[in-house]
Amino acid sequence: MTALTGGVREFVLAFADDEHLMGQQHTEWIGIAPFLEEDLAFSSIGQDELGHAAALYAIVLGGGDSDEPVDDRQLDALAFDPDPLRWRSANLTEIRTDDWAHALVRHWLYDTAEQLRWELVADSSLPALAGAAARAEREEWFHRRHADGLLDVLLPAPDAGERLRAALADLLPVAVGLFDPVAGEVEAVAAGVTAAPFDTRMPEWIDRVRSRFDTDLPLSTRSPAGRTTRSDAFGPLLSRMREVLDLDPAATW
Amino acid sequence: MKRYEVFLKKDGRDEYRHAGSLNAPDDDLALVLARETYLRRAEGDRLWLVDRAHLVVGDTEFVAPNADKPHRHNDGERIAERRRRLREERAPREEEAGS
Repeated sequence: MTALTGGVREFVLAFADDEHLMGQQHTEWIGIAPFLEEDLAFSSIGQDELGHAAALYAIVLGGGDSDEPVDDRQLDALAFDPDPLRWRSANLTEIRTDDWAHALVRHWLYDTAEQLRWELVADSSLPALAGAAARAEREEWFHRRHADGLLDVLLPAPDAGERLRAALADLLPVAVGLFDPVAGEVEAVAAGVTAAPFDTRMPEWIDRVRSRFDTDLPLSTRSPAGRTTRSDAFGPLLSRMREVLDLDPAATW
Repeated sequence: MKRYEVFLKKDGRDEYRHAGSLNAPDDDLALVLARETYLRRAEGDRLWLVDRAHLVVGDTEFVAPNADKPHRHNDGERIAERRRRLREERAPREEEAGS
């Protein structure tokens, strides 16, 4: 079992963190989504993202060697690390969306970018990462169909359409940060872990955003922080995720 | 929102069975939501959705007109009683030995 190191570790860790936080955010809609069926669907999609996160964290810790599975407690320690400095998540996955329009638009924006992200690692030099990409795509087409299905119905509706467009205007400046590279991405590209820097797929993503929402909204220029700064929403989110762990820090799970 | 009735079937097994119902805005989303509401744990291999508006429904007055005609009902009790009596008459010992 060989844990990843250096830029390659950073690269996979950032992906894992995004998937983890996005999964957490979606599952928080259990019980409060607009209707029962959507409640189940959205939380279930969140569970898929948590599954991707678990696979990616396992690759970070064990290099994806399936002969020696990563210890669950070691994986939890990484996935629920209380130290904000260890995280490489994009701010889009950290912010709290209190209304459904924002949650749905973020779901679409994130999953559209996620598709492009998995494509880049489909032929990764890390076999486990290429395997995770193939597995993820078997679930992701469904996530996109879910998000598109809802937008097909809601965007043309007067009230819903307005709310969704307002949510898009709020979220876009944050969403572009998904493409911010970690410091070690160059190393990951050189090692063949990913085919190209993620932001090379950004123009494709922007085209899809514009055609999906039929909008000319200006896409603000990014201020790449190298995924090292956490948004204000991160602390409360991590607290919610660690709520049970923190009840008894000395407990053995 | 439309209401759909959900039917599932396992491949090579059973007939389509009613699994429940579902609210969805259109057919496409109904399929998406049915997958997550009724098939998250591989409960079936095949899925039928029926828009409830397309169901031909008989009202209860129409469906149960013979509820008050006991002469049409056969609960099997009289036949069972006759068989028991015949068995006991013909072979009481065998009956005691059990089978």
